[in-house]
Amino acid sequence: MNPSLFTVPMENYIALSAVVFFLGVTGVIVRRNPLIMLMSIELMFNAANLALVTFAKAWVNNTGHIFAFLVITVAAAEAAIGLAIVVVLFRKRTNVDVDEVAVLKG
Amino acid sequence: MYHVLGIDGSFPLLYFIWLAPLVGAVVLWAFGPRLKSLAGPIGSALIGAAFVATLFSWNDATAISGTSAGAHQSMFSWLPGFSFGLLFDRLTLVWTLIITGVGFLIHVYSIGYMAGDRAVARFFAYMNFFVFAMLTLVLSDNFVGLLVGWGLVGLASYFLIGFWFERPSAVAAARKAFVINVLGDVGILYAIIVIVSKVGSIGYGATFAGVTTLFTPHELFIVCAAIFVGCAAKSAQVPLHTWLPDAMEGPTPVSALIHAATMVTAGVYLIARCAPLWTASPDARALVGAIGALTAIAGAVLGVAQWDIKRILAYSTMSQIGYMIMGVGVGAFDAGVLHFLTHAFFKAQLFLGAGIIIHHLASEQDVRRMGGLRKEMPFAFIAMGIGVLAICGIPGFSGYFSKDAVLYETLLAGHPVLYGIGVLTAGITAYYMFRLLFVTFFGPYRGNVDPSDLGIRHPELAGTAQSAGHHAEEEKDGHDHGVHAPAWLMTVPVAILIVPSILIGWLAFGGENSPWKRFFAPVFPHASGAAVAPIPELWSGIIVLVVVAIGIAVAYWRYGTATAQAGSVERLRLESVRMPRILTNAYYFDAAIDILFVRPSRWLGRIFGTVIDPMVIDGGVREVTHTAGWLGHLFRSFQTGLVRGYALYLVFGVACFVAYYAWIGAGR
Repeated sequence: MNPSLFTVPMENYIALSAVVFFLGVTGVIVRRNPLIMLMSIELMFNAANLALVTFAKAWVNNTGHIFAFLVITVAAAEAAIGLAIVVVLFRKRTNVDVDEVAVLKG
Repeated sequence: MYHVLGIDGSFPLLYFIWLAPLVGAVVLWAFGPRLKSLAGPIGSALIGAAFVATLFSWNDATAISGTSAGAHQSMFSWLPGFSFGLLFDRLTLVWTLIITGVGFLIHVYSIGYMAGDRAVARFFAYMNFFVFAMLTLVLSDNFVGLLVGWGLVGLASYFLIGFWFERPSAVAAARKAFVINVLGDVGILYAIIVIVSKVGSIGYGATFAGVTTLFTPHELFIVCAAIFVGCAAKSAQVPLHTWLPDAMEGPTPVSALIHAATMVTAGVYLIARCAPLWTASPDARALVGAIGALTAIAGAVLGVAQWDIKRILAYSTMSQIGYMIMGVGVGAFDAGVLHFLTHAFFKAQLFLGAGIIIHHLASEQDVRRMGGLRKEMPFAFIAMGIGVLAICGIPGFSGYFSKDAVLYETLLAGHPVLYGIGVLTAGITAYYMFRLLFVTFFGPYRGNVDPSDLGIRHPELAGTAQSAGHHAEEEKDGHDHGVHAPAWLMTVPVAILIVPSILIGWLAFGGENSPWKRFFAPVFPHASGAAVAPIPELWSGIIVLVVVAIGIAVAYWRYGTATAQAGSVERLRLESVRMPRILTNAYYFDAAIDILFVRPSRWLGRIFGTVIDPMVIDGGVREVTHTAGWLGHLFRSFQTGLVRGYALYLVFGVACFVAYYAWIGAGR
């Protein structure tokens, strides 16, 4: 590990990543609009990406970069599917409150 | 000198002898209803053909080459040590001649006896099937083939005892015979398992060659005892004899062929076949000899107490097989087989004679309701009279030679007690057989006497429990007595049987040089140790004769004198009423079996039915479904359908992971 590679202290990156991640979590749990929830999920992905890139730089190891790209890909796929679901929901009903969509209740 | 079994070769006639009855059975089964009156002749002809083929194969059976005796035809091999084939040696020859020869005569007789029955074709199909099964038993060259035949004759016996299946008593008798016989099959199966584990082969030859090297005396005794369980069940030895008297529910020709001449002597065959085992095991000889003697006297004493003509003969069969088993059991194999041979003729003749009477009297079987039949049915009287003289061992008749041979060789083998029991049994036999003769053929005809005057009102006291309900049902069993086949069909076979009944015993005339002894000298091992007889054979014969004469005299005094004949109705009534209950109940064997086995089985069934099954089995299944349902209910409550709820679970899970790794990290 080589902290001297960082101009800004590494802890700041990690702290930013944690803050963004918890913003995302809170957004998913608190908001009922599916679009906002998808955006929050996107926040969590990017928080994870930030952490991966930070650690990759810290350890001088490209695995973290590679995984960051992988996460971006997954995020794109997730966004495609999620938006498709949202579009279908819009067509089916007028309001899009996720709490109203509980048909799969056990 | 003992010979290894069988000269290998190709013997197509053996296949013919073996399979001709099977062809008959299949044809009669398949086309029976269309053949109608042809069924009997077809079935008889095939058995007759098998008999002729047996005669043509005589030289194959008696051939001796080097250390081999008889003919051996290999069929196929399944696994190493499990080869199947046909063995036709002198012992098998004797049995095959009786099975096909006497079997043929009884088939011809049956054409007459069964004429008018609804299911003649079915009867002959069963009879042919029986002959095939019995031939499988005696022709097999290995223990497994023998067991197959052993099981098939039990099946054929079951079919034929229950032939008149409209009768509940016949069905019960058939079931009883089958169950007890299966018990014996299990004994033989156990013996086979031991033999295979010790010898690695099921063949007779390999087993007998290794008797002294591969078995310890204890193991040998176990094998013999297990085999004997099978023999005891099949040959009605105490305590597995109780099915035989009940088996008389079958048609009389069946009783003559299966339950007198052939099947019930399968135990004698098996012990004679396994002679090397018995020769090597003194314990087995002692056990089997003792059981044979016990059966001989137990059967004879019960014969005294019977009123049903077929049951008298059934108990006498049991007693005579006791003699045979005693003979082969103590190591006098040729004597035991000789008694089988003579018994097959005279007992078949007695049964067929009884069949003529029963047929004539419209299914009456109770001797108290007969009497005076000598003038009405002179032929039956002569036939049964000669049979009685033969079974009693009157000199000159066949039974005399064979019974004396068995008794004297038992004495020679060093069993004076068994000898004494055998001699006593001979006296009792003479008594009850002459009783049968006097009551049936002498005195006034009692068929029109009120049954209660003969003591028949109390069947449970008179020992003919079944016979009371019998006759009423007899009319319904489809046996139309209006239809009668030509009389010669029933008389000629009996007349032919009379000849060997008288003469066949002379084969054993001449002591050690008799044709019989010389015939079997190459195949039976001789029990070691030249025994010195306590008394010469002549004296033994005289002792037996004196005892037999006493038996006949008592029977004459009780039933034969002029006054006894005149007052026979009152006499029989008193005897029926006073008959000891232990005899009329056959020593309570059935009751004991009921208490020891049937009731515990029922209790076990009830326990399983009321406790184990509903509570443990059903309860277990119910508990599993309950638990699954409860778990499902629990997990279903988590599935709220709210996406944000699921997200919360995820967060909670992630929090757990984070907490865990934080804790691990802290501990480092």
